[in-house]
Amino acid sequence: MSELDNQWSLPAGTRRASAGAGLRTVSLKRLRIRENMLAYAFLAPSLLLFGVFMFYPLLRSVYLSLYSTDPAGRVASFVGTENFTALFTSGLFLDGIRVTALFALLTVPSGMLIALVLAAFTHNLLRGKRLFQFAFSLPMVLSVGSAAVIWKFLFHPSLGMLNYGLELAGFAPVPWLISPKWALLSVSLMTVWMNLGFNYIIISSGMQGIPDDMYESAKIDGAGPVAMFRQITIPLLSPNLFFVLVVSIISAFQSFGQINILTQGGPMNSTNVFVYSIYREAFVNFRFGTGSAQALMLFLVIMLLTLLQFKWVERKVHYQ
Amino acid sequence: MKRFILGRLRFRRGMILVLAMFMVVLLAGCGGNSGASSNTEANKTSSNNAETSDKAVSAAAAPVKITWWHSMSGAGEKAINKIATDFNASHPEIQVEAIYQGKYDESLNKLKASLGSDSGPDLMQVYEIGSKFMIDSKMITPVQKFIDEDKFDLSSLEPNITRYYTIGGQLNAMPFNTSNPILYYNKDAFKAAGLDPENPPKTFEEFEAAAKALSKNGKPGAAIAIYGWFMEQLFANQNAEYVNGGNGRDTAATESLLASDAGVKTLEWWKKMVDEKAVANLGRDTDDTDSAFAAGQVAMTLNSTAALRKMVDAVGGKFQVGTGFLPRPADAKEGGVVVGGASLYIMNNKPEEQQKAAWEFIKYVASPEVQAEWSVSTGYFPITKAAYDQKVLKDNMVKYPQFQTAIDQLHASSASNATSGAVMGVFPEARQIVEGAIEEALNGQKQPKKALQDAAAQITDKLKQYNETVK
Repeated sequence: MSELDNQWSLPAGTRRASAGAGLRTVSLKRLRIRENMLAYAFLAPSLLLFGVFMFYPLLRSVYLSLYSTDPAGRVASFVGTENFTALFTSGLFLDGIRVTALFALLTVPSGMLIALVLAAFTHNLLRGKRLFQFAFSLPMVLSVGSAAVIWKFLFHPSLGMLNYGLELAGFAPVPWLISPKWALLSVSLMTVWMNLGFNYIIISSGMQGIPDDMYESAKIDGAGPVAMFRQITIPLLSPNLFFVLVVSIISAFQSFGQINILTQGGPMNSTNVFVYSIYREAFVNFRFGTGSAQALMLFLVIMLLTLLQFKWVERKVHYQ
Repeated sequence: MKRFILGRLRFRRGMILVLAMFMVVLLAGCGGNSGASSNTEANKTSSNNAETSDKAVSAAAAPVKITWWHSMSGAGEKAINKIATDFNASHPEIQVEAIYQGKYDESLNKLKASLGSDSGPDLMQVYEIGSKFMIDSKMITPVQKFIDEDKFDLSSLEPNITRYYTIGGQLNAMPFNTSNPILYYNKDAFKAAGLDPENPPKTFEEFEAAAKALSKNGKPGAAIAIYGWFMEQLFANQNAEYVNGGNGRDTAATESLLASDAGVKTLEWWKKMVDEKAVANLGRDTDDTDSAFAAGQVAMTLNSTAALRKMVDAVGGKFQVGTGFLPRPADAKEGGVVVGGASLYIMNNKPEEQQKAAWEFIKYVASPEVQAEWSVSTGYFPITKAAYDQKVLKDNMVKYPQFQTAIDQLHASSASNATSGAVMGVFPEARQIVEGAIEEALNGQKQPKKALQDAAAQITDKLKQYNETVK
């Protein structure tokens, strides 16, 4: 990337100017203005949408984060940075980040790995390939809400299928969602299953995009299946894997539905991920001030994470 | 090619920002409509109101339309729709539209979001712990105003119910659906365990002994959901106040009394039974303890009277369901239960005429006939004593004799600030904090006393914040 950095800083305007100079020098200025106007005209619809749904709300939350609100959510008084300091002194921020990071750690690598294994398995399958592809992508058609409700039944402490199965096999029942030790694991389990469909489809389609002749020539060179997987499949799949990684991390940080339905952040805040605590603060307790402060902190964290991913992880990605 | 790479890099850099922004936008988008915009909205509303009342004068013959937001689903929603339809049929000059707006929390949040616009309801069903907030919000017309104007006779209402909703010397809302917590027990399991099926445990000590007797092979014999409401009720049952300021009734509460003796005693009792595997911890949801009880897995549980019908139906004759009073420590002599449930508020941002129509409807809802019907179809008990003379209610009592327990318990409660129920603006949040503390104690994370002290400190802090923003 380093050799590109120089060109990157090249201002786009000069290039266009030098191109324009070849035509007619007199109307250059007007031409440029017209060109810019046209560009903005094309950009206008998306700029408008971004403005209304992104930039304005962003500025609004900066504003709200400096105020306290009354129980009905109306701005009450200016408090300066109090909302932010309260976030750090109460441990709310660190706890939220800890739980969220743990949740991402539990769901992202395992979700990707399982999808990769399943994709590799079905890719080489000779019979029943369609059937398995269909089955493995099935979780995707379910909404978070319905998936969470199904799992709520499975996790039920005394009547759930999972505990019933465990008891039949002679194990002690597991307090899936009740024990603070288990709750996050249980929610992660459900999330991995739920994301599996999407991950599987992306990875599996990436595998189908790898030309067969590569494998054939590798085979002629004497490569075994493991070597082929490592030397050909993984590198050529890296754009898909990278995409899945970025999307999975973002969705792990955004997870809300399953937590709202399964545990509501409990027990003992063990599943109180960041987004859920923002929701609770802002829309249940109607303290938009501290809620906005939390949201801005999350914004910073996500931005840093995404920057890191693009800076470090993407180097390993091989674009064809 | 170079240009392509250049574009891609820039695109990617943009993407980082855009992706990150997605995160914040969700929250801020909704935060936006609470602040500055409410001013302009409010102006619009007042002019709208002026228009509508003008119109109303010119066309007095048209029926007054009022909307009623409620939080009753299932059997409750059916009963509510029937009340509204019957009312509309008998009162052609008023048309009531009942709209289900989600659970109590959700519905209250929608109301908050509608503040400053006229998209809100005329009549609002709010749960009991939202009372203080509704009064402080200054968006209601206390029903006392209409009671006085109309010389409406309150003496027929249950005094223990009106006591709860009388705050600041006046009735701010008309009680609608009221319940209290009772003990549900499995009579067959009692017999099998050698306990007297006609004599359910009344004290903490008896409850513990019974739970132990009902447990076998390490499987707990009882289950109590981690529900903050039970803690509040167990406080009142020992005649202990939940917050200072006369339980928040004399002056605005500034301090939580959660870590007082009553609280510590209750939580230690609870934790001991969980540790002994006499009581199961099935989480916060009463639905989960209900289903365990209905499936015969546990033989005792606590829940609201409002669950009685559902419970008896779910058991479906597999065993006999008994009901008893909420237990209290043997040395607690006084006290009683606080009414739970919800009440009806008239919103003050609607024209006078609509508010009056809402009051007409409230009077209809509070009538013995409607209350009897309502009680039979839901399990809430009637707010008016006259309802007990109605035939439907008498018949129902024969069919479900367990229902009598709740009424007896209500009448047995002594009158005090403690049993009138705590009043605080941050009640919904306080309940969650208490539930967190119970979890911490039951899971062995903290000693009961320490857990309650920490929770009390948190609630006190929230009370301070609340009192600062409410003027």
